[in-house]
Amino acid sequence: MGKIKVATQWLESCAGCHMSFLDIDERIVELLKHIELTSSPITDLKHPPKEGVDVGILSGGIGNEDEEAEAKEMREHSKILIALGDCAVTGGICTMRNFFDTTEVLTRGYIETESTVDGEIPQHEDLTPLLDKVKAVDEVVSVDVYVPGCPPTADAIWYVLSELLEGRKPKMEGKALKYGMDGG
Amino acid sequence: MSKVQLTIDGKSVEAESGQTILEVAQATSVDIPILCHHPALSEWGACRMCLVQVEGMRGLQTACTCPVTDGMKVSTETEEIANIRKFILELLFSERNHYCMYCQMSGDCELQDLAYRYGLDHWTYPRPFERMEIDASRKYFIMDHNRCILCTRCIRACSEVAANHTLNLRERGADSMIMADLNVPFGESTCIECGTCLQVCPTGALIDARSAYGGREKDVEHTQTTCMQCSVGCQLDVVTRYSRLLRVDGVWDAAPSNGLLCVDGRFKPLYDKRQRVTQPLVRKDNKLVETSWEEALKVVAGKLKDSKPQGLALAGTTNEALAAFVKLFEKAGGEAGRLEPLAPELDYGEPAQLKDILESDYIIVAGAAPLEYQRVVGYFIKRMADKGVPVALIGETVEGLQTQATLVLSYEEAGKAAEAAMSAKHPVIVYSVGLKAAAIEALKSLGDKARILALDPAHNSNGAQNAGLKPMAVNGADTLYFLLGEQSEDEALVAQLNGQFTIVQASYKSPLVERADVVLPTPLWYEREGHITNVEGQTLPLNAVLPMPASVRDDAEVLKVLKELI
Repeated sequence: MGKIKVATQWLESCAGCHMSFLDIDERIVELLKHIELTSSPITDLKHPPKEGVDVGILSGGIGNEDEEAEAKEMREHSKILIALGDCAVTGGICTMRNFFDTTEVLTRGYIETESTVDGEIPQHEDLTPLLDKVKAVDEVVSVDVYVPGCPPTADAIWYVLSELLEGRKPKMEGKALKYGMDGG
Repeated sequence: MSKVQLTIDGKSVEAESGQTILEVAQATSVDIPILCHHPALSEWGACRMCLVQVEGMRGLQTACTCPVTDGMKVSTETEEIANIRKFILELLFSERNHYCMYCQMSGDCELQDLAYRYGLDHWTYPRPFERMEIDASRKYFIMDHNRCILCTRCIRACSEVAANHTLNLRERGADSMIMADLNVPFGESTCIECGTCLQVCPTGALIDARSAYGGREKDVEHTQTTCMQCSVGCQLDVVTRYSRLLRVDGVWDAAPSNGLLCVDGRFKPLYDKRQRVTQPLVRKDNKLVETSWEEALKVVAGKLKDSKPQGLALAGTTNEALAAFVKLFEKAGGEAGRLEPLAPELDYGEPAQLKDILESDYIIVAGAAPLEYQRVVGYFIKRMADKGVPVALIGETVEGLQTQATLVLSYEEAGKAAEAAMSAKHPVIVYSVGLKAAAIEALKSLGDKARILALDPAHNSNGAQNAGLKPMAVNGADTLYFLLGEQSEDEALVAQLNGQFTIVQASYKSPLVERADVVLPTPLWYEREGHITNVEGQTLPLNAVLPMPASVRDDAEVLKVLKELI
């Protein structure tokens, strides 16, 4: 059997989940013996290959149309989709803006902030429109494995990947199941 | 109470009839999850986390409210129960804002713990994202309705423990909200800031302004000590991290108050803004200047030896210090006394403990204002008034107890209270310095069945009493030695001084300290080791929560050293 293909992508995310993935440290060498990382936001190739991957990993919530498209792309190309981190699992901290409407949020951010002088809300055809509300990944596409945490610990990520490599669906419990930072 | 036999998860257990399934399970180390249940509060049965299967009973039962019966067969953790609990948790998480990553309670939250226990790795139901109010109108703690799960622990704590009835629910169903009084901001309500609701809140809905985000349970240290802010002697669980005071909690299983504290014990001492004395000071060229302990003690010892000294203590320090104070003045050949007045002694009745109030069937409050000065005693009395126990107020009364009182009398009318209490089996008389002779005589008819609680204004009044210190005024001695601890002296005191050489042993700057010739710094409440004797006559330990500054010395030690020096 060849290597298991894995693709990752971050959506509305702080990159912390990917940093925590890198925190598996030297175990990454062992991991790369078994997997091929086809694409990720921290490598040259950003999109999953057309022929698809075994495991797709998404971190971050879904707050704009581009992220929505990225999530759908990853789902279409993955046999197993992992929602990595609190934002992917529940929308997380990104949903703080869900308590306001988008105009209020943009006005506050680009015009009213105390340090802003003559601010304006940026508008450009390259800028993707915000969705009304930030969503969890499973509000857009179906998710197979949920790994909450802000970020999930390196050990939790290692546990999930090694369980999948063994052909088992990881059961999130004990130290692997924590919300927020290391369970607090 | 008769015994019953039942089985819990296949294990045979003996229990008292009348106990709930939860009580029996907890006594036999069976862990049934809870959220709205709290051991200090009445049962509510609202959160449904403790649902258990009882053979032969339709549906599932709430273990916290269901009494055990003989032959009962209870299952506490079947697959069906686990699924239902998980479903309930999902519903709880689908209301309001339960995003843990920016909640100050994350890591210590009872709701979060249960979500972990039942493997809630994602949320099935959509979230409403409805903005709710954060009420920060109170100084010491904040109510964030977004985090509230409506368990009503806070409401029950307010009504049953503090007997204050500020909190209640408004609206119905999903619109239910905790409110203060008739829905006013907490800071404008009848809240007395005792903080009991804060201590029982299972989630991050009630937030301590000082300790929020300051450390989770796994990061902090706990030290139990005795409150020194009045004579009741409530037990404090002082929470610290990195030598910083974070928070004070009550201790549920410790007399005299069993978890109940007041604003003076729980919050105010952590916000004390008075300027501290941290170095010995001596007056040189009419200015107080910092000096070494050696020099300061030499000056004091010289004065105690070579002039006629008088010692006056505020009974706000340890038994050890007060005893050493008396010994020092015995050796120095001067008079020693205490500054605060003493409640008159009664030649009838038995000394009461606080718990006697909770077992009383008639309460007489005479010449005392417990809600103001020994607040927890006041709350205890209000609890009993809530249960219909008559309360007679004699003499000066305070707002708060008046609304509960069944009789409000002048000292001359005290006989009426005695008459009304005559048929009571366990009458309690709570009194203080104001009690007049006429009332003392009138209440005598209650005799020895009355339990007596004398509320002296001094914080360690019984400690001073035991040391043999009697109330005393400035008597014209050449040298005056004031032992203040961290209490503030009566301002009128400074005006009575007449050029005497004045030594003050104190924690904080004050008019008397400014006027002094020598100042010896003493530790604060959370740095003290030793004992106090509380209003019940119980001797309670003080444990150092944090070390005192190197330049401060314990009063008792200093007094012992001085005794050797003279």
